[in-house]
Amino acid sequence: MPNLFTLVLQITVILATCRLVGSLFRKIHQPRVVGEMFAGILLGPSLLGWVAPHFSAYLFPASSLGFLNALSQVGVVIFMFLVGLGINPKELKHQSHAAVLVSHVSITAPFVLASLLALYLYPRLSDNGVSFTNFALFMGAAMSVTAFPVLARILIEREMMHTRLGTIAIACAAVDDVTGWCILAYIVVLIRAAHQSASIWITLGGILAFAAVMIYGVRFLLRGYERTFRKNGAISENGMASLILLAMISALCTERLGIHLLFGSFLMGAIMPKEPKFVRYVLDRFETVTITLLLPLFFAFTGLRTNIGLMKGPNMWFYCALIILVATGGKLGGSTIAAWLSGMQVREAAGLGTLMNTRGLMELVILNIGMDIRVISPALFSMMVLMALFTTFMTTPALELICPDYSLRATPKKKTAVPEVELQEIA
Amino acid sequence: MSSTNRNFIFAYAFLVVLPLVGLAGILKSGRRLAAPPLIDGLWSIQLDTTADDPHPCSLVSNSLLPKSISISQSGRTFVLAVPGNPQITGSGTLDGNSLHATWTAPAAAPLAGSLDPHSCSGQVVSLLASLDRPTGGGVLTGSFSAADCPSCTPVAFRAERPRNTASKEGP
Repeated sequence: MPNLFTLVLQITVILATCRLVGSLFRKIHQPRVVGEMFAGILLGPSLLGWVAPHFSAYLFPASSLGFLNALSQVGVVIFMFLVGLGINPKELKHQSHAAVLVSHVSITAPFVLASLLALYLYPRLSDNGVSFTNFALFMGAAMSVTAFPVLARILIEREMMHTRLGTIAIACAAVDDVTGWCILAYIVVLIRAAHQSASIWITLGGILAFAAVMIYGVRFLLRGYERTFRKNGAISENGMASLILLAMISALCTERLGIHLLFGSFLMGAIMPKEPKFVRYVLDRFETVTITLLLPLFFAFTGLRTNIGLMKGPNMWFYCALIILVATGGKLGGSTIAAWLSGMQVREAAGLGTLMNTRGLMELVILNIGMDIRVISPALFSMMVLMALFTTFMTTPALELICPDYSLRATPKKKTAVPEVELQEIA
Repeated sequence: MSSTNRNFIFAYAFLVVLPLVGLAGILKSGRRLAAPPLIDGLWSIQLDTTADDPHPCSLVSNSLLPKSISISQSGRTFVLAVPGNPQITGSGTLDGNSLHATWTAPAAAPLAGSLDPHSCSGQVVSLLASLDRPTGGGVLTGSFSAADCPSCTPVAFRAERPRNTASKEGP
């Protein structure tokens, strides 16, 4: 049984710290999520555990972390459902050449560069319990992700959502997320299958069958929610409860199939009806608790796993700088070149590259999966968390520098991959 | 085929297909790389205290040496912790199959009646060991020694990690 006093005390301290640091970051024109990610690190061994080890041990005793993790994972399961809900696959089918090229290059460029970097890092930051292929593939997937919700938030704040840049960026981020999760699912299957008695083909077959049932079967049944919403303008409490239930069941199925809980909830969100008002309605019901209560717990748990103290000596900081350089070069550089080759002006192309380099919360989710399946070491995890923070933090000032008055040149309002108001608070 | 489409195909082949071919080469060449041996996990320690020492090191007599250690590995470096004793945390490096780690011995409870002349409390304890069986569960053999404590002879130990506690051998 959890010590309830400790658990409630932890939640109180985490929420207070996240709100405070998040508000401070808003004052310097950063999305709140960056501040909350930073707050998580402040509460971990990198700061609190370092300056006040006894208080840290009292507040976060090792025996209590399992409960904190469980709560935070529930939050991430719901969050991934909401992220999937925000992605509209129909819109992705009608991308321009520029969007197709940029989205694919923004995956392949960081992926290949990360794999090259893995050649250097594997003998230094990994061990022979992890195969090079798994290590390199994971590094590639982790570096090629784009934070779809954070990106949406930045575009809305800068009134760029309906510009050509905003439209392409949001479509590319959606493609990146879907592709990134598919790659990650494959890696998780590979790693877990090596330790399970069932053949990898049985696992893969099960996953494909599950995805087919969801896309070609369950998706059509879910239209009933949209019909009810159109008819009544609302969904009953039972209806909302069944939505969460379906997301949880889907999450359990993917976990049981050998991938991860989060893939199931993401898939359930992705196949939900996409009528903008319906999406907004569902988001409104779930966002507050998820964003203000559960996600800060995830940031804190990630922060507790992040130990900058593990990066001892100039070598470790050199590896960290190299990771940031490769991640930024691959994502920002690759996207910029692809956009420029597609006919965009250099500034506009660089702006798109900067937006695609936003990793935010999605990166933390992927890194935590990497730690759970033990494909990355604690020191590498800490370096990658710093990379996620750095690349997310740099987006707003870099965009200000590259496209200072872009929104003034906005094109007429145009339908985008996500409804305008979606996911704004998540970011 | 329009020039726009042709440009798109060329750009796609150069920026997407070609790198993917390169990726296959990277993955193939990376298979030849050797990473440090896996030492991550919980090790149970057996101290060799049978030696007839007239001044048994107070590391042993005051039970300052751990019965088990938990290693969290990051490549060639690792962090060492003692389950149930958050006061003891150390760090070390791995060179080939050899490990070297240090930590500070916590203050021991004073012996009844007198001060212990051979106290090692507060001293830096050093662990030197080698990994005998890098594959499977693994066996560590080595010694603990206290720096600046001439009266303390190194205490030999043997540590084993049951196969199922090698933490990277399955999620």
